[in-house]
Amino acid sequence: MKELRRNMRLVGALLVVMFVGLAAWFAMTVFTQGSIWASDVRNNRLRASNSLRGDITDRDGNLLATTAEDGSRQYTQNAAARRALSQTVGDTAGMSGTGIETFFSATLLDISASLTDRLSELFASKQHVGSSIQITVDGPLQAYIADKFPEGYRGAVCVTNYRTGEILAMVSMPSYDPYDLTGHPNANVEDTAYLNRCLQGLYTPGSVFKIVTLASALSNDAAVTGQSFSCAGEWAYEGGRVVCAGNTAHGTLNLKTAFMRSCNVTFGKLAYQLGLERLRATAETFGFNENFKFGDFVIYNSAFPTQVSGMNGLVWAGIGQGEVLVTPLHMAMISGAVANGGTMMKPLLIDRVVNTQGAATATGKSEVYRQVLDPQIADIIADFMYQTVESGTAARAAIRGYRVTPGSPASYRTTPTPTPSPWSSRAAARARACPASWPPGR
Amino acid sequence: MPTSKVEKMKKALMRSNTHLLLSAVMLFQFLAMLLIAFQKQSVNLQALAFAVALPLVTWSVTALMGRCWPVDRAILILVMLLCSVGLISLSDIAKSNITPRTQAIYALGGIAAMFAGAAFIRNWRNWRRHTPLLMALCLLVLASPYMPVIGIYKNGARNWIGLGGFSVQPSEFMKPVLILCLASAIAFAAACCGILLAEKDLGAVLLYFLTTVAMYYAATSNAFISLVGLGMGAGAAVLAYRALPYVQGRIAIWKNPWSDPENLGYQLVHALIAIGSGGLFGMGLGLGMPRNIPLYHSDFIFAAITEEFGLIFAVGLLAVYVIIIMRGLIVAFNARTSFHSLTAFGLVIILGLQTMLIAGGNTKLLPLTGVTLPLVCYGGSSLISTFFSMGLLLGLSSMNAEDEARDIETIELKESNVFN
Repeated sequence: MKELRRNMRLVGALLVVMFVGLAAWFAMTVFTQGSIWASDVRNNRLRASNSLRGDITDRDGNLLATTAEDGSRQYTQNAAARRALSQTVGDTAGMSGTGIETFFSATLLDISASLTDRLSELFASKQHVGSSIQITVDGPLQAYIADKFPEGYRGAVCVTNYRTGEILAMVSMPSYDPYDLTGHPNANVEDTAYLNRCLQGLYTPGSVFKIVTLASALSNDAAVTGQSFSCAGEWAYEGGRVVCAGNTAHGTLNLKTAFMRSCNVTFGKLAYQLGLERLRATAETFGFNENFKFGDFVIYNSAFPTQVSGMNGLVWAGIGQGEVLVTPLHMAMISGAVANGGTMMKPLLIDRVVNTQGAATATGKSEVYRQVLDPQIADIIADFMYQTVESGTAARAAIRGYRVTPGSPASYRTTPTPTPSPWSSRAAARARACPASWPPGR
Repeated sequence: MPTSKVEKMKKALMRSNTHLLLSAVMLFQFLAMLLIAFQKQSVNLQALAFAVALPLVTWSVTALMGRCWPVDRAILILVMLLCSVGLISLSDIAKSNITPRTQAIYALGGIAAMFAGAAFIRNWRNWRRHTPLLMALCLLVLASPYMPVIGIYKNGARNWIGLGGFSVQPSEFMKPVLILCLASAIAFAAACCGILLAEKDLGAVLLYFLTTVAMYYAATSNAFISLVGLGMGAGAAVLAYRALPYVQGRIAIWKNPWSDPENLGYQLVHALIAIGSGGLFGMGLGLGMPRNIPLYHSDFIFAAITEEFGLIFAVGLLAVYVIIIMRGLIVAFNARTSFHSLTAFGLVIILGLQTMLIAGGNTKLLPLTGVTLPLVCYGGSSLISTFFSMGLLLGLSSMNAEDEARDIETIELKESNVFN
């Protein structure tokens, strides 16, 4: 009987612990993901809600979206700025699914407001106004970038603060006007304009992927810095060949000069030297093949091949071609991690959520996503990247008065020189106050 | 004189003063039903009737059962609370008044079954002789969905039988019988699981299996064999996953319901949307739209409750189950024979595992299995059988109380002999 009791106590305790685990898990997921679940387009409660949507503001409090007295939804007055922010802010019809308007609609409407709030509003005969959301994006900056974006081209620009993970701008071109959506009489929405390419555009990274190949080489074999390579402008191997841009023969190179001149032959050889498994391991540390769940937005997953057909696939993967796919924001995270001493930050889009009473119910906190590199290795790569801008293939990225390192064509990690913008010059003032100081003063 | 002393002791051994709990539960029932009754322009008369009837029934059942036997009143009151949470939710969300009314009739049947269960376990002396008969009966009933006339194929599982427009789920009714039989013979469980597997009632298989392993371990203290059993169960689960596309679908949806939100993932996506909409405090009783969740009255009632009452209430509901489990374990610890001890233990384990499976399924912690949320969700088979199980537990608790009273009396008699 004594033993029986002991066993029953053990199993019983296990059951109770399981219940505690269930409750904790349940509470945690509702807390972290509840508003995202509730913002699903299939949620009829949102359409049935008679609350007014709260405001969306940028990091300086500039109004990006607000609800007018008559209940209509108003966006930024300046048409160019409105378009620049279109996919980031979203629209009332949910055309851009990743926009704040759609992705956080449950929060903006506050559909699960507490009963006391509802009652007090009922007595004051006020309509319920949902929470306001302040995002980390700098509205004027984003409008400025969109303005400088070459006409007629498609693409994306991400600007992030690599130390905090805050997204300062994500421009996706072509853009659209949230007032003139498809179905609207004078709508003229370009194809794919609803897509936020920073998050939903999967691109072949090309030469910027050499950062990952370089990181893999340095992490797996420190002696690689002393190795010398020779480039005849072309490297033919069994089953294929790789050429450098314009068939330029780079001659004898070390790792640094090969990176500076973006030598495909050398990096193809490096990839071959590493082998698929090691290269893939590094890529996966950087977040490739990972199911990203950042919470503030939905982002597509970047891909690195798990299997390649022979040597050709491996060599081309090493220079970011072939089956390698990446989103612009992820690429910005990768180069940001290099700048941040190898620490990749979790990207942040939501700065604060403020309820009707003016109390902040949620604030975006900087979080380390992962230590992807050894600090020493990060320093080496950062130096290589700096040299690439100073006297290498990325010389066009140089900005006088700033230290610039290339991330990707889509992610120059710097604050642009101030010019008059649709808003005040506050953003410009801040840009002056904190130039992109790099490498970090450690 | 001694008899009155025993009576006094019995009363004392009901342990806690449950008046406060009883009053709180009755107040909750009354207010919630009142809220539903006056929600719309026209007064919901049925809800109004419930507002009076629910507290009244709870009070009288507690009083009556407490008068008959010295049962653990806390368990009894919490069981009534869970049943009324189900009735309240159904009154609010069911599309017609018929559903809560039917559920109330089932609940009355269940209360009768609870009394029957308590009386049965108290008077079932020669259980050793009867169990083989019971087992044979149990297997027959479980296999009954395969019988030509009465078997029904429902929701991809053959686990219902029907007679003249009235259908029942045998696997529900066999739960208490399984526990009773398991307490005396473990091997029998394998046969039960086999039949259920053939009927594709995977939730019940899992439940029967885990309960059997837990009881086997408790009875024999053989951790090795129990772990081997669990391992074999896991192996069988992997085999089932490989072989049955139906199981693969369930697992895929559990991993990411949004991968197929319009077909396979439809139920879970809408359950999660509802849970998310409810947030911390819920949308309010009658203010949500839980009817958007498919099967809101049965498989997903936990999600529907979370939407309207909120996360805090839902966690509180889980806590009520935990309290019943813990009080039930105390009953198991104090039982005088290993048969009674194991019976109480098994009843508690099966209640806990079942709650765990369905609440976890609703909240995407576990893959969804179609078991019922005990005492809350709609359905007569489950409600009546769970009430019967709780009756068994209460009967055991009253036997413990009497045994303890007898012990104390003996000690006192001895002491008085010493002094005189």
